[in-house]
Amino acid sequence: MLRLKSPNLLAFVFLSLVLLGGGCYSNESNSRWANAQRESTQGVNPTATSESTQSQTASNRPPRSNKPLAGGEFNKFFPAASDGYTRVASQEKEGFAEYKLKKDGKDVAMLAVTDTVTNPEAAAKFRESTRQINGYPAIDQGSTATAVLVDNRFQVKVLSRNPSFTKEDREAWLQKFNFAGIAGL
Amino acid sequence: MSKPIYEIVDELPTSGMTVTLLKSLDFVVPGQWQNITGFDNTIRVVTGETDEQMIQQIGERAIQLYNDKSQGYQTALWIYDAVGKGSGALGAAALANKFGENFSFLSFLNRLTPKADTAQAIDLSVKLVAEIVAYCKINGIPGDSIGEFVSALADYSGESLMRMATLVSVDALLPLGPDFIEKVGSTIGGLTTDELQKNQTFDQINNEIPGGDTSSKLGFIGESFRSVSNWMGSFVSSRNLTQESVASNLKKYIDITDNKLDYVSAFLDMTTNYYEHTGVQTLARRLTERAVAEI
Repeated sequence: MLRLKSPNLLAFVFLSLVLLGGGCYSNESNSRWANAQRESTQGVNPTATSESTQSQTASNRPPRSNKPLAGGEFNKFFPAASDGYTRVASQEKEGFAEYKLKKDGKDVAMLAVTDTVTNPEAAAKFRESTRQINGYPAIDQGSTATAVLVDNRFQVKVLSRNPSFTKEDREAWLQKFNFAGIAGL
Repeated sequence: MSKPIYEIVDELPTSGMTVTLLKSLDFVVPGQWQNITGFDNTIRVVTGETDEQMIQQIGERAIQLYNDKSQGYQTALWIYDAVGKGSGALGAAALANKFGENFSFLSFLNRLTPKADTAQAIDLSVKLVAEIVAYCKINGIPGDSIGEFVSALADYSGESLMRMATLVSVDALLPLGPDFIEKVGSTIGGLTTDELQKNQTFDQINNEIPGGDTSSKLGFIGESFRSVSNWMGSFVSSRNLTQESVASNLKKYIDITDNKLDYVSAFLDMTTNYYEHTGVQTLARRLTERAVAEI
């Protein structure tokens, strides 16, 4: 059996274990995100357009481009402010538009439309959908989000930012979007 | 390759001069700023989400978006960083200039450094332009859309509002006094392109300021300052902000023995980097908001 006679040696072993433990903790913390970092910096542009052709459901429209639509295209299909809520434009990027919903000066929810052409996994998750909102597949995500997939391509999502804004509120606001307009893009 | 965004957010300090400065200015925008640090933690705080699998997806999407240079997030972060660095260098120049005024044997420094008020005026207005450009890079509004930015200012909150509060308090009111808007407006109005080009803060972000040459960039800086002047004026008056109220609150947290307020401002310029600190927090928040909506 190994016996440690010197207190200094004992201290050294103890310190090493502490440092090793710290190192492991640090690596573990980093590794949570390291794969995503590696994958998105290895020459493949992860937000670039998917090569796969998007399925089309609107018969009288030419096939859509595989490039994401400008975020500004979505603006007119967002619901207007009503019932004491105010709406503030938040972000408008390629394939993405988002508004903040406020009540009594506080942020209560976010409303967003995304073109999933750069992120096919976002559309794929709707295969698990078991219900519909205004005729389109809907799902809940985590504890704060409810989303709808319009025409197999555009994700419309409402996110609670305050406990007072419930899942029922999210569904009610999703129903106010102009899905037909979005499907026509 | 640039540093991963999760490391940048993880490494935000939880203490030190910058954090102390921002805490001392809580009285300006009460309760608006919490020092949110750490990538995971930012995702939790911003989204209110507790589902670990979803937090993982949000983080991965945020990393992807940040690493795609065409999305503008890296440029925005670079601007916040560059303005912070330029500002620190200005602190050294302004302090040297002050010594030049007090000690005649050093008066030759006046030939090498701009007068403190001029440098401070340029610094303030270039920081405002940086805020406009970074805002547009992050939120996706065309880069020279001053009008859109001014409307957005009304809805500024959290770390973004604290950054503007610090800008007004420490970079405007403290060194230039209650009539800083008139002072800066008149300085920028009479500025030559040569004087602008010598300014360190301008030099740092020159390429990101809209305009084909220095003259048109100077025009953009002046227009930006004029557009934000009303907001700054009502920000100061509605909160009853004075040099004295800012200084006395700073003194509660920071050991300021000299009551010469332009020295205090120069000191803070050299020892803090509130612009980059809150800039990283703003970026992390917006990135998270987009990522959670896109997954």
